[in-house]
Amino acid sequence: MAEHDLSKTIIPYLDRHLAFPLLAHLAEPPHLFPKEEVIVAQYELAKGTNMFDYAVSLFEQIYAGKEVPKEFDEKRRDAVSRNERLGQEAQAVLDVIENPDVAQALRQDKNQNLAYLKEHYNLTLEQITALYNFGQFQYSYGNYSGAADYLYHFRVLSTDNELNTSAQWGKFASDILTGSWDNALEELNTLKDIIDSRPAGISGPNLPEPALGQLHSRTWLVHWSLFVYFNHPQGRTTLLDTFLAPTYLNTIQTSCPWILRYITAAAVLSRKAAASPTAAGSAPLSPRVRNAIREVTKVIQTEEYQYSDPVTNFLKALYVDFDFEEAQKELGRAVEVVGNDFFLQEYKDEFLDNARYLISEAYCRIHRGVDIANLSERLNLSPEEGEKWIVNLIRETRMGADAKIDLEKNIISISRPPLPVYQSVIEKTRQLAVRTQALGVAIARTGVQPSTQHQQQAAQKDSAKEVGTVGA
Amino acid sequence: MSRFFRQAGDSDSDSSESEDELMSSGEDEAPSKPTTTAAKPAMSRFLRTAGSDSSDSSDSEESESESDGSDKEDLSDESSDEEDRGPIRILSAVDKRLKEMEGTSKAMDNAMKINDWLTTSTEFDKLVRLIQRQHNLSEPVPSHFIKTLINLETTIANTLQKEKEAKKKMNASNAKALTAMKQKIKKSMKEYESDIKKYQQDPETFEREYQASISQAAPQPAAVVRAPIAEGGAPVDDFTTVGRGGKSVQYTPEQIFKHLQAVQEARGKKNTDRVEQIRILETLLEIAVTPYQRIRVLLALISSRFDYNSSVSTHMPVELWLAAQREVDQLVSIVASDPNYSVQEITDDYDESVERSPATEGGVVRIRGSIISFVDRLDDEFTRSLQNIDPHGTEYVDRLKDEKVLYCTICRAQAFYEKTSQGGPLGRVIMRRLEHIYSKPDPVVQALESAAEASDVKSTMTLSKEASTTALVHSLCVHLYKSGDTLLRTRAMLSHIYHHALHNDFYTARDMLLMSHLQESIHSADVATQILYNRTVVQLGLCAFRSGLIKEAQSILQDIFTTQRVKELLAQGVHQQRFQTMTPEQEKAEKQRQLPFHMHINTELLEAAFLVSSMLVEIPLLASIDSEDLKRKTISKPFRRLLDFADRQVFTGPPESTRDHIMQASKALQDGEWEKCRDLIQSIKIWSLMPEAATVKEMLGKRIQEQGLRTYLFTYAPHYSSLSLSLLSRTFSLPLRTVSSIVSKMIWSEELSASLDQSDGVVVFQRIELSRAQQLSQTLSDKLATLVEQNEKALDAKTGGPGGWGERADGGKNEKRNEQAQERRGRGERTRGLRGGLRGRGARFSQGLGNQMLGQAELTAQ
Repeated sequence: MAEHDLSKTIIPYLDRHLAFPLLAHLAEPPHLFPKEEVIVAQYELAKGTNMFDYAVSLFEQIYAGKEVPKEFDEKRRDAVSRNERLGQEAQAVLDVIENPDVAQALRQDKNQNLAYLKEHYNLTLEQITALYNFGQFQYSYGNYSGAADYLYHFRVLSTDNELNTSAQWGKFASDILTGSWDNALEELNTLKDIIDSRPAGISGPNLPEPALGQLHSRTWLVHWSLFVYFNHPQGRTTLLDTFLAPTYLNTIQTSCPWILRYITAAAVLSRKAAASPTAAGSAPLSPRVRNAIREVTKVIQTEEYQYSDPVTNFLKALYVDFDFEEAQKELGRAVEVVGNDFFLQEYKDEFLDNARYLISEAYCRIHRGVDIANLSERLNLSPEEGEKWIVNLIRETRMGADAKIDLEKNIISISRPPLPVYQSVIEKTRQLAVRTQALGVAIARTGVQPSTQHQQQAAQKDSAKEVGTVGA
Repeated sequence: MSRFFRQAGDSDSDSSESEDELMSSGEDEAPSKPTTTAAKPAMSRFLRTAGSDSSDSSDSEESESESDGSDKEDLSDESSDEEDRGPIRILSAVDKRLKEMEGTSKAMDNAMKINDWLTTSTEFDKLVRLIQRQHNLSEPVPSHFIKTLINLETTIANTLQKEKEAKKKMNASNAKALTAMKQKIKKSMKEYESDIKKYQQDPETFEREYQASISQAAPQPAAVVRAPIAEGGAPVDDFTTVGRGGKSVQYTPEQIFKHLQAVQEARGKKNTDRVEQIRILETLLEIAVTPYQRIRVLLALISSRFDYNSSVSTHMPVELWLAAQREVDQLVSIVASDPNYSVQEITDDYDESVERSPATEGGVVRIRGSIISFVDRLDDEFTRSLQNIDPHGTEYVDRLKDEKVLYCTICRAQAFYEKTSQGGPLGRVIMRRLEHIYSKPDPVVQALESAAEASDVKSTMTLSKEASTTALVHSLCVHLYKSGDTLLRTRAMLSHIYHHALHNDFYTARDMLLMSHLQESIHSADVATQILYNRTVVQLGLCAFRSGLIKEAQSILQDIFTTQRVKELLAQGVHQQRFQTMTPEQEKAEKQRQLPFHMHINTELLEAAFLVSSMLVEIPLLASIDSEDLKRKTISKPFRRLLDFADRQVFTGPPESTRDHIMQASKALQDGEWEKCRDLIQSIKIWSLMPEAATVKEMLGKRIQEQGLRTYLFTYAPHYSSLSLSLLSRTFSLPLRTVSSIVSKMIWSEELSASLDQSDGVVVFQRIELSRAQQLSQTLSDKLATLVEQNEKALDAKTGGPGGWGERADGGKNEKRNEQAQERRGRGERTRGLRGGLRGRGARFSQGLGNQMLGQAELTAQ
């Protein structure tokens, strides 16, 4: 299964600290890679940070009995003193900011705030930068919550765009590592906006570099955000919403096609949410999410030459080739992959469950009489389990009245009466009234020239009338 | 007839030429003027001067300094004539003037003797004019002129005296002329008062002085390059060395620069004998010693070789081309081997007639010239000759063999520019190199490269270093991407894509094409680049076809075939326009754009690929729709048109052309006879031109089976209530799994209203018959939906610009239509698959070219 492990591909796109959880995951059973190698990798990673204790403990694990290199002690001393110095600098600023008077006096306008602080508390921009430095330092030795705090304050005050963005990334990483997913999601969204808006502000239109920079930023963001999306309760649908947006989809297609696995998994996982938009009771889903599976299938097909793994192959076998046997085989492999994946491991069962639903749904839609035993086999279930499963399926899905189980012959017979013409006409015209209304609103808002407006209204009336007659 | 009398006429300019002839041929002169009494002194003077050497002088300066219009014409004729003759002729201009003056004086004397004042007057006018010219050239006034003046004055005085006394008056016109003459003489006497006084005091001294001043001027020419007056300069024996044929004797390394200048100044003039020039330069090259001299001579020689081509002939003669190619090689070798010399387009001014060396220049000797333009020209001439040679003859093949040496030259030039790190020319030369290899199969590139490998000056990018042609092309392209030139970048990109497509690397080629966003800007590019773009797109389509991606191939090739101007768009032939005729200029421009034959993409193969893929896409579609008005929805118009035409045929014979084959195959496919269809398609002969023909045929067979099954299901579903899968599998020789996969897909996508019965292994069809009213209401609802959609689009166009509706609406938010928005949109297209994207942009493109053609037509109309 090691060949399907993506850790190696993903880690280069992560921050040093973000890579720790991934490696830790690899160190756990089942051991896809030799345990020692993983620990060595962890050690190498930790060496570059200020987390000396961790590094030392790893060192002891690897070279049991050997003396711990001296440099760690020195570095630790260094770091402690530096920590103190930076801490003091930052504290000075913090003291001022935490003063309730100041908190009240601060406004939206950053420049004004700076002027205010300078005037009343003699606080300069350099001093504020101390917040950033200290935050960064804290992050480097693993105090993520502290780092998040300082970076937040810094961002509120600073006007330096570069550092602000950097602080944003830092805060984002800290939030991920502390596990505060709501905050992280928020950070993620702001960061996304920053990246999207950046080239318009800074770059000339013809320089390729900003576009390239944007691509890099997006690639990183895509990787980092995996942490959030697979931990936040609403994460999967948000993931679909984001990653299937043209810009991000392009980023993924150009620079990191392996993310397709996560998109595929998310699409499968959010099947239920997609199938019953009202049941969730949450915010209405964008069409992108609702049609996620279709979209993803298309993307998988186009990107097949670049990337494929059991997870994507499963979807392809099911929806491109309609080869149920193949799909079943791939599903077995895919579940294993999902179980071993750092991000997806939590969702192994859910994935399997949903995938089965997808298979049986497709199967039932195409077939008229389905042998229960056969279907159970397709789903890797025993006949009895299969029967239960199918009953649940029939109950849950819209097939409702059309499907009957014939226990004597042990088959499900699905009668699928063709859609009556009336129904199809109604279906086709249902949306029209709403859409025309939306048009009207759009016109009113933008204030288009009267002539067009007139035309639009006429059209609107027309279609409304038509809908009326057809409905009647 | 005496030349003096002829000169007296107005038509001196046309007579002068024949005079030149006479004068140049020395002794022949004597009998030609037997009537003149003064012939003797003139003759002797002439003979003397004819022998003198002033071959190095150039007359262009003289002709420039000339103020008199008619004389100028005269002289320029002369000077160009001289170029034919070589050095001898050069001295005659000065001499001739003297001759003429003397002749005029004699004629005047004669006229005076017979009291013909009319003639005297005109002759005098002429004399004055000649003297004036002499003056302009700051040459001394000849003594005999003064003599004539004094002579005249006395004669006039005498005549007037006589006239008063004489009973018989002169005729009116003569008398008038006499009076006029008197006035003129008075004026002239005043002008040359001092000279006349001097002369009157001591005629001998004056004469001597004059002679002295002339002979002084003689040694001058050697120094000042140009010989103003060449009398008495060189000894008479020199005459033999200057004679035609024996010239080489006189070229010495010291004189190279003089000759060079002479040649350069004659360049581009009317009637310059180019062959002669080239010969001179060749001899100069032989005797050139220093690198500086050789570079200079080579620069001049190569340019004059390119000049040789007259505007009438279509291309440069092959021998000349080869010579030029060798010389460019030589030039590159010299410059590359000695870093002290550099050839640049822009240099400081320097004296062209002086030898320069690194020592005198203090470091690098910079010489004005442009190697890259030579290479460009060489390449262009090569292409032009290929364009004009009959591609089916052996001559063409022979000519094509020269590509090897040309490629070597280009590689050497590249190496040279790499060494001297000149970015601009390097980019151009790399582009040239790329253009020679990008469209060629590997073995050809290997052959070219092996030749280049053998040369002494090597570039850093060679096939042996890069291991494969793709890598070589890649490194060449990467260099061009990094260079700042957008045109080169675009062309490099297209060539790169073409190369990928040629090597069946469809996905890479497609991604590169889409990511380059060329389709958005290509219609504003120059025609050559548009042609390259077309070629690239077409090649991509063929690549998709070879890789079995039928749908992609169809949609890519569709654009170019709907225009019905395939040949024109690929620059492989001129399109005959029915309603407008092309002006000769247009036709010529069009001709120049044509690609040489060996670069052509076989249009018949292209058409076969397009029609076959259209068939595979269109026939099942055609079968799937049953109502009439839906039938109008076509994917491939050209194919549909052909099919309709074939349908109307009452009798069909056995297929002959590729089209016949495909049309009959389509009909067989429609009838469900996939085997017949397959056989027909596979028997098309043109496939043999496609690489890996066997695999392609096999692939086509498989596709035909699948599409045959689909067509069959669509067509015959209404007649069955159920069909056994195993029967289908047997009929279409497809594995059961594939059959059920295809059927499932059709059911899933609701193309087929049916369901599978697993236990019995059959497809069960459900069919609903629609009543008329139902059908109509369905159509109505469809139309309504379209109406709303149109409205939305209209609104979108009004408000959001070209942002697009729906998914792209969030792209449209960004109203600044900057790069990013474009990029987003472009990428958006990519996500929607190649199909839609390519089609849209292709249409835009062909339109763009159309516009351009129209624009040209308008221009020419104006």
